Order: sequence, then C-alpha cells, then structure tokens
Amino acid sequence: MKPESRGIQTAESSDLLSAFFTDRKVSLKFGRDRENTYLIGPIQPSPCTWACPAGVNVKAYVSLIAAGRFQAALDVVRERNPLPGICGRICTHPCESYCNRNQIDDPVAIRELKRFVADYELAHPPVKNKPIPRSRNERVAIIGSGPAGLTAANDLVRKGYGVTVFEALPEPGGMLVAGIPAFRLPRDIIEAEIDFIRNLGVEIKTNTRISGKQALGKLLKKGFQAVLIAVGAHKGKKLNIPGEEEYTGIIDCVDFLNQVNFGNPPRVGEKVIVIGGGNSALDSARTALRLESKEVYIVYRRSRREMPADEAEIAEAVREGIKIHYLAAPKQILGRNGRVTGLECLKVKLGEPDASGRRRPVPIKGSEFIVEADTIISAISQKPDLSFLGSEELETTSRGTLQVDEETLATSRPGIFAAGDATTGPRTVIEAIAAGHVAAGAIDRYLNHEPLTEAAKPIKPELEIRVDLKKERKIPRAKAPMVPISHRQNNFREVELGFTEAAAVAEAKRCLRCGPCSECFICVPECPKEVTLMSLPGDREEALFRLPPEVRPEKHNHAPWKGVFTGQGKRYSFNLNPVLPFVKETLCRGCGDCVAVCDYSALQLFPTQNELSFARIDENRCRGCGTCVAVCSTSALTPRYFDQRWLTNKLSAIQPEKTNVVVFTCSWNGSQIDGPALSDMESKNTNVVLLRLMCSGQIEPAFVLRAFDQGADRVLITGCREDRCHYEFGAKQATGTFEKIRQLLFLMGMDSERIRFERLTDKDPVKFIELVKRFTEETGRNENRPKEKERVAL
Amino acid sequence: MTGNTNTINRELVEAIKKTNALACLECGKCTGVCPVSRFSRHYSPRRMLTTAVRKHFDVLFQDYDLWSCLTCLRCEAVCPSDIKYSELTQIIRTGAKTFGFNGKCSHAGALELLQQIMTTSELKQNRLEWVTNDLEISTTGGDVLYFVGCAPYFDVFFSDLEIHILDAALSSIKLLNMLGITPVLLTDERCCGHDLLWNGDDNNFKMLAKHNQALIKQTGAKTILFSCAECMSAFKNLYPKYGFPIKAEFKHMSQFLAEKVASGAIELNEIDGKFTFQDPCRLGRHLGIYSEPRTLLQTNGADTFQEMQQNSQGSLCCGVSAWMNCDVTSKKIQTERLRQAKATGAETLAVACPKCQIHLVCTMKDQQVNANYGLKIQDIASITLERIASK
Repeated sequence: MKPESRGIQTAESSDLLSAFFTDRKVSLKFGRDRENTYLIGPIQPSPCTWACPAGVNVKAYVSLIAAGRFQAALDVVRERNPLPGICGRICTHPCESYCNRNQIDDPVAIRELKRFVADYELAHPPVKNKPIPRSRNERVAIIGSGPAGLTAANDLVRKGYGVTVFEALPEPGGMLVAGIPAFRLPRDIIEAEIDFIRNLGVEIKTNTRISGKQALGKLLKKGFQAVLIAVGAHKGKKLNIPGEEEYTGIIDCVDFLNQVNFGNPPRVGEKVIVIGGGNSALDSARTALRLESKEVYIVYRRSRREMPADEAEIAEAVREGIKIHYLAAPKQILGRNGRVTGLECLKVKLGEPDASGRRRPVPIKGSEFIVEADTIISAISQKPDLSFLGSEELETTSRGTLQVDEETLATSRPGIFAAGDATTGPRTVIEAIAAGHVAAGAIDRYLNHEPLTEAAKPIKPELEIRVDLKKERKIPRAKAPMVPISHRQNNFREVELGFTEAAAVAEAKRCLRCGPCSECFICVPECPKEVTLMSLPGDREEALFRLPPEVRPEKHNHAPWKGVFTGQGKRYSFNLNPVLPFVKETLCRGCGDCVAVCDYSALQLFPTQNELSFARIDENRCRGCGTCVAVCSTSALTPRYFDQRWLTNKLSAIQPEKTNVVVFTCSWNGSQIDGPALSDMESKNTNVVLLRLMCSGQIEPAFVLRAFDQGADRVLITGCREDRCHYEFGAKQATGTFEKIRQLLFLMGMDSERIRFERLTDKDPVKFIELVKRFTEETGRNENRPKEKERVAL
Repeated sequence: MTGNTNTINRELVEAIKKTNALACLECGKCTGVCPVSRFSRHYSPRRMLTTAVRKHFDVLFQDYDLWSCLTCLRCEAVCPSDIKYSELTQIIRTGAKTFGFNGKCSHAGALELLQQIMTTSELKQNRLEWVTNDLEISTTGGDVLYFVGCAPYFDVFFSDLEIHILDAALSSIKLLNMLGITPVLLTDERCCGHDLLWNGDDNNFKMLAKHNQALIKQTGAKTILFSCAECMSAFKNLYPKYGFPIKAEFKHMSQFLAEKVASGAIELNEIDGKFTFQDPCRLGRHLGIYSEPRTLLQTNGADTFQEMQQNSQGSLCCGVSAWMNCDVTSKKIQTERLRQAKATGAETLAVACPKCQIHLVCTMKDQQVNANYGLKIQDIASITLERIASK
C-alpha cells in the first residue's frame, strides 16, 4: 500500500484527522506521556477493497462520505477508477457481495454511495481540473474509448505521455454509450466523466475508424510508440437456429441498442422477444418496452438463479412488465412472407454443471411451444469485431478474442497491447477498468524499456478481519428512490435517482469499517508532527500511524496491546502496537548499559538469586525511542518492528544494477515525506532506500554494516541536533555510534564520502529532500568508482 | 555445504561416522565437565550427541543450544571414546546455516557482518594506521610475519569498554624491534575466518583462507607470529584441513618470547604484584600450548605466579565463542572465572587471546561485578614489554 499510488490533492488540514477519528474515540491503556510509544496498525485490507477488481479503496471513500467529505471521497475513487459516475450506476459491485454486513443484514450500498459523490461533484462544480503537463516524448495510441481504453488513457496521461484515443463511433464511451440505455446511464454523466479525462490532456478522435492494411503498423509509423487495442466486444453471436437467416426482424442486441442510443430506433412492432439472460438482454427488453412495444418476452434457457444479469435489474424489468420464460431454449424462428412471426421454443430441464459451473440445460422432448413476435432480439453473447485488423498478424484465441499475456496484456507483437472485452469477451465495466490499469502499467514499462512481467501484480492480500459481527445492530439499507413505473413509458429518463446527502451519510455510517484504519492516507500529505506514517515490512507495504496527542486514554484495558475505539454505540478492538522493546531474560547479562543510557529511568536492574541481575522495562516510563536496544550487546533487549527482519526486508529494496543510497532517518525531523517526493530523489541510475526509525539513537553499527553488505553504495543517517532530540538523549548516543561506525568503515577502506551523518534542526521535509537529493547526486558523480560488491571468486 | 536436504543429511551422517560419535557410551562425562552445562540448566553435550546419533537433525537445527557450545574441547579432553564433539557441532551448524537457522549474534550481528564483508575483493583497508612511526615494520616481505588479526577493528568496536586491544600488537612489535626483527605486516590482511567456520559458514571461511594463504606466500615468511590464539589455531589446524596449507612455522607470541627469554636474548624484571594466567581454549586444548606462557610469566617471578583452581587442560573458557549466544550462562562462566582469578590473590590476569580479554573485561565492567573483582586484565606480550621497559 504505497502512498505514491494515492495522489491525493485535496486535503483540508483543518479536519485532517476527521476521517480517521470521525466518530470514534480511541482508548488505550496509557501511562503518562505515552502517546508516541504506541502505533496504530498494521492496516488490514477490508473485504470490499479486496473484492474490487480495479482495487478502488472502498473502505476509504465510504469512511470519507460518513465524515461528510464528499470531494475527498471522490478523489479516493478517482485514484483507481476514472469513471465514478458511470460505475456508480452500472457497476456489478462485487464489493457489495463481499461486504461483511451481508452476515448481519444487507450490504452497504457502496455503488449508490459512489454515484452520490460523483453526482455531488456535478452539482457542486469544483475547480476545473487542469491538464497534466506532458513530461514524456512518447505518444500512445488507444483504439477504442470504452472503459478499458479510457482508464489506460487516464493512467498514461497522468504519467506524462501523449495519449490519443481513436473511436469509430460518433461519440466516445464504447459500450457505455452504444450498449447501455440512457435510462440506466444518462448521457450527460458519460459526457462529464469523459470530459474530465479529456481535460487532463487526452485527445479523443471520434468517427475515426482505424482499419485497412497494416493499420497498426501505420499508427506505429505515425509517431505512436505503443498501441493499445481496447475495441471491446461489439459483434453479436449468431443464434445458429433454423430461420435465422431467412426472415427479417431479427436483430442483434448490440446493433439494436446502438441504433436506439444514437437516436435511430428501429421499428420493433408490438411484440418483442429477447433471447438471453445477461444485462444486455434486460437492457434490450427494457429499451424495447420504452419504444413502441406492448409485450416483451425474455427467453432464457436456465432458471433465474443462473441468470448472469444483476438481480436488481431483473426485478426492475419484471416490475416494468417484462415476462421471462425461464428454462426455454429457442428451437427455430418462424416467419411468413419473409418476416418474423414468432419463436418456437423447447422446454428444458437443468442437468449436470458445465465448464462454467452453471447447470447445463437438457431439452425435454415434445415440449415445444410458440411465442409470437414481431421482432426477435438476440442477446446471447458478443465477441470482438477484429475485422479492422485486416492482415495484421495478431494471434487470436479460439473464442475469437485477442491473445494476450495475462499479466502484461501484451499481444504477440511488441508495442501492441490489448485490454478489456477485446481480450476476454464480454465482461463487466469494472473488470475493463482493472484491465486498463494493467495495460497502462505495462505500456509504461514497455516505454521505459523495463521488463514487462513486473508490470502489474494484483495485490490480493489475505483477508483477516477482526470485527465482532455478533455485536452489530441491524440497520436497514438505504434505498434510492425510483421513477414510478407509470412515468417510464416512452422516455429514457434515468430510472434510479441517487441518494440525498443525508441518506448517503447515513448509509456510509452503516459501514463496519473492517479494520481500524480506513487507509485513505489523507493524513499523509499534511501530516502534523504528532501523527507520522511509518512504513513497515510485510508481504505488502504496511502503514502504521503514531497516535496523535488528541487521543487520550479513556479507560484501562487489561490486555496491554489492544486498543479500543468506540463510536456510534459500537466498540471495536484493534491491534495497538507498542514500540517499546522487551527484555529476554535468558539473554540479559545484567550489565546495566541500558540502565545507564536511559534518561527516563525506564530500565532498572532486578537482582536474581546469586549475584546476577537482569534488566526490566517499566512500561509507564518507556517512550519507545529504542536507544537502549542499540547499546545492548547481547541483543537481550529486543525491539518491536525495528528488528533484523525489518532491516533485511527494507534492504531487500536494494537494486544491484543501480547506485543505492540507504537513508536512515529519525522520524521526528524531516521524515514527513511521502512517496512521490521520495521517487523524485531517484534517478535512472540511483535507488533510494529509506528506513524510518523512531530516533537516530536506534542506529547500531550492524545496521550500517548490513546495508553495505547487502550492496548499498552510500549510507546517510539523519537525526536531530543533540539539544533538539525528542527523546533528549537519543541523538547524543547516535553521535557516539556514528563515530564508531565511521572508524570501522575507515579501517575497511570505505572512503568517508560513503557515509554521512547529518543533523537537522527543524522539521522541514523540503530541506530533508534536498539533503537526500544532494547526497544522491554526489553519488551519481562517483558512478565510475569500482563497486565494492564483488566477492572474492573461489 | 550446499545442496538439498538429502545431501545435507548424508553429509551429517558422514560427519557422525568421521567424528566417532557412534562410539558414544553415553557416560555423561562431557556434560559433567562442560562449562556451559555447569551454568545452564538445559544444555547438555550428551543430549546433543544422542540426538545427533539418532539423526534428529531438524531438532538440532532449531535448538538454541546448538550455538551455545564454546567448542572449547573441554569435553573431548575427558571423552573415553575420543569423540570429536566440537567438530560435529561445527558440521551440524553448517547444515543449520544452509536452512537459514542461526544462533543469537551478539552486537546485533555486527561482528559477523564485519567478517562477511572481509570477503569482498575490492576492499582497500587502512588497517595499519595504528602503527606508530617509532615502530619498524615491513609491508613487503621478510622472514618473520606478525599476523595482527581483527585487533584494529576490535579496538574501535570495543572502545566503550576502555580496553585497547591493539596494545598487544603494539607491544609485540616493540619487542620484536628490540630483538632486531622487522616484522612483516600485511596491508590487505583479512580476518582469519575462524569464527565464520565455527559458526557454520564454511564458504566465507574458505574465501578468507584462500586470500590469506596467497598473501602470506607472497611475503615469503618463514615464521608467523600471533597474539591471537584463535588466528593461530585457524592457521595451524583449520587451513590445512580445508586445503589451504601454509608452509611456515606458527608461533604464539608467548611461545616466541619464552624462547627468546630462554636463549637469553631478553631479560625480564620481576613482576610487581601477584598474577595468574588465563588459558585460552584455542591456545591450550586446541594447540596444546600450556607451558610456554607459564615459563614466560614465571621467569624471575616464580613465586608471584599463582595457578587458578581450573588451569591448563582443565581450564575454564572465557564464556563466549565466535560472538554467539552471549547470555546469562556466559556471564556466569565469566564471573566464575573472575572469582577463581581473584581467589589466587592475583592483581593481574594475564591473557593470551584478545577474545578472553574482551569478554572478561566486559564482565568486569558490570557495576556489581566490578565491586567484587578489581583485576587488571592484560595481554601477555604487554606484560612482558612492561617488564623490560622498567629495567
């Protein structure tokens, strides 16, 4: 969970912590003055965030909505989903299926909440977003302006590339415009979202079909360094039943919806049959009903349980008067005078599950029945229309989709990538968005001449949720108002109306907030001194927050490492991690070095039988600086977090082919820098590894030696001035340790330029970054110096 | 040792045969004399050995006590079956290391890291900065080579203890100069690898051994002198065993000085006050050198020299080996040793290995212990120099 992936731009410092501690009070077992000896965390993924294919931080934006910070919430959504208003309406919301509230009552209406914030922005226009300055010479061509293409365009333009999107249809949006009716997804919403992306600097050329001989080759010659094919799946599959070719009045759902959506509705007559059970089938049926049809039937060969369409959509269709023939397979199309008159169907029963896991329909002999119709709309499935590729030799699969590498979405031809339905067949919008992100990452790597394989590894951490569901109260799920059935005829007005502000906040407050921190990282950019983001090792990057001083003890808790927060009459416990070290009594020799170093008298020697004694930590006095750990020669004082594992994991970020600068920094001065600032320090040949400590007093010779052993080229240690040390004696200890380290390295012949100890006087991130930059640049100059990494060859 | 579980198991089974472990009578003499067992409730060489013989290597790998053995050979001195327990321990540690197990490194592993970094080829050490201008040394070639060891590093690392490990080296070179010898000192000398090998890191040990072998060959030295008993045991016992023999005579400074005293090349004054001698395990049981340091110390002062309760073959070790598992047990051993030294009525404790000096001084620095034993712990070469200097 790297902060740099979260480019939060708007954060009001006034209520910086409001999202974090909105309506909770964190109570802990505190002694005196112990706020900085505990850390909150590590954060745990919530199931909603875990479930989202695009990796939208659901918990964060729901929390922010609950806090009434709608614009901030929308910013969180936009980090991973450039189409919030669209997904807020038509997303299949896997997040809601995984919501822990399912086990209590109904899931939080996450989709409607997203829609609410998107609508809120439209109603309260923010400062217009500015174009992202172009920082790269390379240009990327994207064929298709559907969700996959738009997402990739959005990601790439934010990385500074020039992006041109080619769209064959007169309006951008791909299937969003062509395939989804306006009563579900109003056109102005699509326009607004696409305008947002356009304003960032993406050029969208509509009515431009890429086709012809060597179309891709021409694009590459025209000055595009990479091409993304995101043409979607717009070609309807054939029914393959008798009569299909004979009669007129049979139309594919994509063509049908396309014609309707572009203001050219075909005449469908009074009776319409739609074959299929997906969302397209339902959209077609409901669209037909809004035209001239009186009776609309859906013929589906399985039962309602197997129907892939959204449950709510089915219910709405039925309410509107659409009749569904379940367990009916089309047998042949009937017609007279070259025109369709009806459909002969066959009753089926469900047999064994097939490859897709759904039960296979088995026809029942002699159960034929006829449904009359003026028009038959087939909505069984779609495949990509790849005819535009002409003679381009791109590998395709047996399903008629483009063959791509699953991880990188690269096609068989270098520089050509493909994403979305064109590679998968018809899927959901959110999956297309996820694919767009992957493709953008891979293209970025391709253009940087980096290996593609590392492009995107979807983070799917283990789910571990500590919410006591039994204690939760049932709260009914908020329902957005709908346009009455009677008002839906002959118009394409949006059926579902969004939440009001009050309803949205109330609904967001239903969120159980699985895990204590909502991971919105809104605190990071403007972090005051007292709340510091500490990054720690793990399978993924984890974050810890030092507790702010506003948080005061409420009552004692017997388990010292558990924190409790209460809010809305609820009580959650979470891991509250003390940073104070503990003493391993078998290792402690009772030498008293730690006792001598600690000015807080947190350590005391306790005698045992015979003349020996061992040290003990008085938890009420310890402030967690870790200086005592550094002076303990037997490692009996064991730190929490800042141990060997932490060190090894952190140092594993060293890249042998680059010049590596390892920075140890005390977390009180100048360490409040976030990810983007750090990556600024890095150049093509240098790699900065930042290790945050509680205090520079924690530095031991072994830290620096290990860094050099692992391949560091230079080490920078920053700490406070001795009189400014937050812990009063840590910096003093660091001076001594540093002198020792310097002498050891001198003996080893490592020139003194390779290690530096800097004292910072003020908390000034800018100065800190400058310092690291300067140190790094000096390294760059010494690049030709032989590296001291090669071992003696045996 | 590399390879998969099977190879490692095979090598360990081979080691059991080689070290005679199958001949164990389970008599328990080893545990009876083991200094660690004496102060630790859970450590027993007999138990470790039976576990090894039953091939429960995975149990041993995960055992904290695998790294507690001081490899001081105290048990081997009494074993009726002549089992090489220390060697077996070392081989099991090598297996454990390949699986990622390690003991508890003191000083957060800094010293182990130093030794590992020593294997880096491009290192341009400034390791002779301590040599003062009045000393005559050669860095190119000569008959007599003085192997300094890690003393310059220890001198920095243990500066907090207010001991000067380099004193031994300075005194040694001064003595050599007095005898008209200009010793060769190596500018790119590396760690001897002793600790790495005993900790089961034989790959890095071999690298260091190869490097040192080549360096010494270049100098053409015929005699190599040591102040450190561990370095000497590595050169004399371990290097040939692993295929890096060095053709030279190896002498500990105490041996060399005793010879010179016997031949009359140097004359010594009487020692002020009483003194006693700590036998380093590497010098004593590993190399069999007991009499020379004693002769040296007793010249012109036989009545002021007092043996400790445990001495020579039965000597008690300094409590920590190869910077591993320094814990309460170590401290108990060291306190006991200091008690024994104090009981002789001595004011000075002569040592012949920098590790003994560091460990015993460290324990003395403990406030409580310091009150009880006010011993002066000094290297044997420094003592000798003082006796000449005060002439």
